Amino acid sequence: MCPSTLSPIAIPDAALPESARRLRTEVRAFLDEERARGTALGRPDSWLAGWDPGFSRRLAERGWVGMALPTEYGGAGRGFLERYVVIEELLAAGAPVSAHWVSDRQAGPSVLQHGTEEQRRFFLPRIAAGQCFFSIGMSEKSSGSDLASVHTRAERTSDGWRLTGTKMWTGGAHVNDYAIVLARTDEAEDKHTGLSQFIVDLRAPGVRIEPIRLMSGEHRFNAFHLDGVDVPDGMLLGRRGDGWKQVTGELAFERSGPERYLSTFPLLVSLLSELEHRSVTAGQLTQVGLLTARLHSVRRLSLGVAAALNAGASPDTQAALVKDLGTRLEGTLVDTVRSILPTRADPHATPGSHAELLAFALLHSPGYTLRGGTNEILRGIITRGLEQR
Amino acid sequence: MNTHTIDTDTPVISADAYDTAAFFTGSEAIAVVTNTTAPDAVPLPSPDASTAELLFAAQEAGRRAVPAPFTETALVARPLLRRAGLPVPDGPLSYAIAPELTIRYAHPAASPVGSAGCLGDDDTLLITGTLHRVPWARAAGAVVVLATAPSGPVLFTLDPDRAALTPGANLAGEPRDDLHLAPLEIPASRVRRIPRELLEEAEHRAALGRAALMAGAAERCVELTVAHTTARVQFGRPLSHFQAVKQEEARLIEEAALVRAAVQAAATPLDTGGPAAHFAVAAAKTQASASAAEIARIAHQLHGAIGITQLNPLHLATTRLWSWRDEDGDETDWALRLARSVTAATLWPALTTKP
Ligand SMILES: Cc1cc2nc3c(=O)[nH]c(=O)nc-3n(C[C@H](O)[C@H](O)[C@H](O)COP(=O)(O)OP(=O)(O)OC[C@H]3O[C@@H](n4cnc5c(N)ncnc54)[C@H](O)[C@@H]3O)c2cc1C
Repeated sequence: MCPSTLSPIAIPDAALPESARRLRTEVRAFLDEERARGTALGRPDSWLAGWDPGFSRRLAERGWVGMALPTEYGGAGRGFLERYVVIEELLAAGAPVSAHWVSDRQAGPSVLQHGTEEQRRFFLPRIAAGQCFFSIGMSEKSSGSDLASVHTRAERTSDGWRLTGTKMWTGGAHVNDYAIVLARTDEAEDKHTGLSQFIVDLRAPGVRIEPIRLMSGEHRFNAFHLDGVDVPDGMLLGRRGDGWKQVTGELAFERSGPERYLSTFPLLVSLLSELEHRSVTAGQLTQVGLLTARLHSVRRLSLGVAAALNAGASPDTQAALVKDLGTRLEGTLVDTVRSILPTRADPHATPGSHAELLAFALLHSPGYTLRGGTNEILRGIITRGLEQR
Repeated sequence: MNTHTIDTDTPVISADAYDTAAFFTGSEAIAVVTNTTAPDAVPLPSPDASTAELLFAAQEAGRRAVPAPFTETALVARPLLRRAGLPVPDGPLSYAIAPELTIRYAHPAASPVGSAGCLGDDDTLLITGTLHRVPWARAAGAVVVLATAPSGPVLFTLDPDRAALTPGANLAGEPRDDLHLAPLEIPASRVRRIPRELLEEAEHRAALGRAALMAGAAERCVELTVAHTTARVQFGRPLSHFQAVKQEEARLIEEAALVRAAVQAAATPLDTGGPAAHFAVAAAKTQASASAAEIARIAHQLHGAIGITQLNPLHLATTRLWSWRDEDGDETDWALRLARSVTAATLWPALTTKP
């Protein structure tokens, strides 16, 4: 290996293990079966919009949900690089993965790292079986970028906690089983202390889910009201007061994965099949090539971060960098595809047609650079990371 | 006078290689660096260095704006000569991929099939034409030329002293000289017939070497810009404390990281060859060239007026980026070749295949 003294932003070039090659072939075969079955595939943003618990369970039967979790908790113990291969295959194929998405990516690792032994034994096998789906309850009306300002309170009761407040933009809360909720347990001078995480049963009394429709008309988001919800002691996740540390620790996982540059990839594939039926100019091809080069380059960076995570490092700056680059590319891809082959975006066109996929990707496009922390905030993290060297 | 150049056999690259004045004094300035004690000198790869090591050194050369034909020698000329089975001369080398040359066999009579000499067994060539913008030609001991002879692709070495040289330079002042060959005879001992794949490999090596230099120059832009925005105070605060500055600076950092990742990803495929090499190299040069404008734009914007002067070293990096993005194929050229190699069915497999 070359020394990495050269770069202030050195992200190693990761080679995938040989086992990943075999795994990739297996996943492709599985996806071929799913296509034959007619499961909706080839759709953009399928990790937000492709909700299909049946698909999630079939995936889990192969051992591909919670696959980085240890085997003693029902996982496959295969590490982040192999998980990476599986999820990138799923997203490139536009497979409906949103049901298990958060439990696989965040809830599982988080319970494993911070949870009690009881929590691990209860949740992890269910997550890995594709039978337990999570939402993220972080944002609030006045706490978006300034997440540490959350107002949702958790008050001590005789045998647990009572949660009061309203979370916003809670994806999937209307269909999932649990939410991980960030709440204030203690008043403190510094707003980053005194926060804690709780696992909240979405069917518990006092939970009220109110739909918020996307501009496409889809119902993915909710306002998630906690009107004095009783949460038993055993559902405090991690240590009281450590909520902020726990939340930020999850972010490198959340930010640098394939979902940060592949959300609109199926649209590019759709464009290429359209072009196969036409005579193509050099100008069109050049634009395809430019997109391809950028996708390839972003993917290599993302893989490098995955390798660093796999090795136990916490590459927060690099993860933020990948997310900003990747999510901007997701949006650029939509615009470029539109300019390569001018098409009237039509949400009512035949599902799966180019016009319909374009409409879908376009209507979702403002979200790419917002979710998981806005790009403006991420860029602050990047420059700070560099100055501190 | 201090010469700021490298001898590719000397085990270091000069670290303080930023004085461009040396470029214009001719070939004697492209001499050997004797001062190898610079504090941040890095070792030059040994002759059996891997492609990854050579690319890493090329990035370093690009970062330091080393005024010498480093990639030309180490990443292109030497490996090609070795592949073709020709001796590898010491010292700086260069290359030219020149399909436009007119080539005849010097002894057509020796051929059983007429004046084209397709089956001639004496490969002594007669070359006419001009090699355009040969990098560092005035300083190179030999130029490795790839061209098309009547029998197909050939590789031969040319002594630049035997050509008429018109000096030229790119935006950064790096020598790009024209070599005029008014029928020049190249003895058969310096000529090899080569398979078409070697021609393709030559293009790949040239493009990837150039992209690696660009990755280094991009890093330099990042370093200089971060140093500048943390040191310079306006409105009572360092520039780096302003949101608007952070936003731009982060994009610069990202773009540089992207180029670097693309270059690194091509090291292994380059050795393996085939479609994977084509994909990875085309992606790397496309990305490097496509990123150059944004990198230079942001670095200059954040430097303010000082950055457009020769007082500040930034220009050494940005003028190179602007030059190198066009050399050995620009982003349009490589993007087109990249796109031609994929279809709806092969795009994803191509993105995920890496030997
Ligand atoms: C598709 C989607 C899914 C989501 N899913 C969930 C979910 O499941 N659970 C959940 O909890 N949340 C979710 N969110 C919420 C998401 O995390 C927030 O939208 C995000 O953190 C931004 O907060 P905000 O929308 O309140 O914008 P604001 O914080 O109000 O920001 C508005 C604009 O101002 C900029 N800005 C703000 N502060 C600064 C600053 N200091 N410097 C520079 N610029 C600044 C921002 O970058 C942005 O451009 C989701 C969002 C989207 C779009």
